[in-house]
Amino acid sequence: MVMAVPAGVELSALEETLGLGLGGGGERRYRQGDGGVPVLQTNNRPDLAGLTTIASHLVKVAKKEELLGTTPEKSAIVQQWLEYRVTHIDQCNTQDDKRTILKDLNCYLKDKVYLAGNNFTLADIMLYNGLHPIVAGLTHEDREKHVNVSRWFNHIQHYPGVRQHSAAVIFMKNRLYPTVH
Amino acid sequence: MTKEQGAGISEDQAQSKKAAKKLQKEAEKAAKKAEKQVKLAAENQADEQDFSKDRYGILPMIQSQEKLDRVLVHVKNLSEDKADQMVWLRSRVHTSRAKGKQCFLVLRQQQFNIQGLVAVGDHVSKQMVKFAANINKESIVDVEGYVRKVNQKIESCSQRDVELHIEKIFVVSAAEPRLPLQLDDAVRPETGDEEGRATVNQDTRLDNRIIDLRTTTSQSIFRLQSGVCQLFRETLIKKEFIEVQTPKIISAASEGGANVFTMSYFKTSAYLAQSPQLYKQMCICADFDKVFCVGPVFRAEDSNTHRHLTEFVGLDIEMAFNYHYHEVVTEIADTLVQIFKGLRDRNQIEIETVCKQFPSEPFKFLEPTLRLEYLEGVSMLREAGVEMGDEEDLSTPNEKLLGRLVKEKYDTDFYILDKYPLAVRPFYTMPDPHDPKYSNSYDMFMRGEEILSGAQRIHDPQVLTDRALKLGIDVEKIKSYIDSFRFGAPPHAGGGIGLERVTMLYLGLHNIRQTSMFPRDPKRLTP
Repeated sequence: MVMAVPAGVELSALEETLGLGLGGGGERRYRQGDGGVPVLQTNNRPDLAGLTTIASHLVKVAKKEELLGTTPEKSAIVQQWLEYRVTHIDQCNTQDDKRTILKDLNCYLKDKVYLAGNNFTLADIMLYNGLHPIVAGLTHEDREKHVNVSRWFNHIQHYPGVRQHSAAVIFMKNRLYPTVH
Repeated sequence: MTKEQGAGISEDQAQSKKAAKKLQKEAEKAAKKAEKQVKLAAENQADEQDFSKDRYGILPMIQSQEKLDRVLVHVKNLSEDKADQMVWLRSRVHTSRAKGKQCFLVLRQQQFNIQGLVAVGDHVSKQMVKFAANINKESIVDVEGYVRKVNQKIESCSQRDVELHIEKIFVVSAAEPRLPLQLDDAVRPETGDEEGRATVNQDTRLDNRIIDLRTTTSQSIFRLQSGVCQLFRETLIKKEFIEVQTPKIISAASEGGANVFTMSYFKTSAYLAQSPQLYKQMCICADFDKVFCVGPVFRAEDSNTHRHLTEFVGLDIEMAFNYHYHEVVTEIADTLVQIFKGLRDRNQIEIETVCKQFPSEPFKFLEPTLRLEYLEGVSMLREAGVEMGDEEDLSTPNEKLLGRLVKEKYDTDFYILDKYPLAVRPFYTMPDPHDPKYSNSYDMFMRGEEILSGAQRIHDPQVLTDRALKLGIDVEKIKSYIDSFRFGAPPHAGGGIGLERVTMLYLGLHNIRQTSMFPRDPKRLTP
């Protein structure tokens, strides 16, 4: 299991990203539910469980619904990547898993700026957070090998408000390695 | 005649016709058989009266019975200008392929090969073709034949424009039929395995080193390595250095006792030299001023990496200088540049041959050589996101990364890293006069891997003693070393290069065992 940031911390960071200060919507508290799933306790409504469920909820509270996709197609794609985040990235245990994820993503991002095409969405934020420990652990050679992931990652980490407290990952602007096979 | 009768008759007739046909067929068969037998008999007779039986066979063992004034032409010299000439040559049978009345052979001599053809004709009998086809691979043969131009280039051979029409073929030394590895498998590029064809792994190669050394790649690597030694000597001798020979059996470990081989020496024990360090410095104290030495160096480090051997060939330089150790750095760097240039100009064919199996980019260098200070290197690494202290030694991955960064920025595969932290260098390293944390020491890198480590040495016995004491070295044990500097010692600096590493990195190979003819590592003592 990749040693990711605890879900509570990640969600608090997401609140900051979304501009949800202490005011808007009141104070949110997270606890760990069964199997480490985060649970959001709200004042007057039933508890919400699950990382991406809570994240989507926060987007709505922040009134930034465009982050969930503006068309039905886009929304579906966003949901698909949110699903990928919890089922694939959070479950990846071995070097082989990581390599597969990076390879697939690199291929997918070949002709895209953001995961859902031309618009920044919640999927970009959540995948950035999920991939951070993996990408930070790569050598420059591997970053260069997965150049599309690196381009996307570098772009997202510089997107206003996204990076928050995680360390910036350094990418070289020029190619260091001769045509990586 | 009724219809039935008619039918009956025709049936009878048909039957007798069938029978007749059968008979005829049998007769034909018998005739054929007889014919065949006659033919076989004729052939057997021919066997007895083979008209070319003096043109092939197995030579008696060459025991220097006679001195023929026969000129054996080297395969590499067989080209269009020799067309239609009759030549003798001695080569190995690389492959043979019989096809009816002819047999194609690929004849190999070192890294060159040519297509040979034995075809039934005026002088060549069927039996001779058969004999040629049955010669085991790798056997050594003496061959006489006509050099003939070919219409279509022979892509699989080094001599593409001609082939040899063989008139005589004699086996000088027969090889056993089964080879431990196939030469063709051993030169196949590892990247091109989409056909799923066999390659030979490193250990099999090394276990059967003499066969592996016959491959065009190995032939080229070691010819190039010989070139490195030659260029090293040529360049230094031109710079008025003299070559010295130093003992390899020594009484005390020169640099720390950990990685040294101990051997019994009559009633006491001795060590195998880790470097000729002491002796080249003693030569300097003995007024030889500029010395170099080529010889074995031993390291008892139990490291099983792609770039460590327990015995390798050291190319060592030591030189007295006037005022600044950069005088020496410049000389050493220039020597290496002369080697690179020489290889590029003289060994192009070898470089290309190795590249066919192990593709790599051509080696790049600058003139004058790029010199970076250690702190510059560290800051380049920090910019690339590496976290390390100012006085921390370079780890191998960081060393390689720095090599890539330097290549990207300066476009050179060869550079000098100067002013190492004093803490990571041996006790005899001269401290930097401006900042005692650093030292007058340097490493040189090829393709991001260290090939030379050197420094200005301390030539003052008092300072030397102080440094040794500070590092907790038993001064009694190195007394004779320190004493060498008591009777007037000029300032001097030097360095040692690993021959195998230079060859490996120049060619962009990935394992040092490829550039050591009979490698020694913690796990290998044979062949």
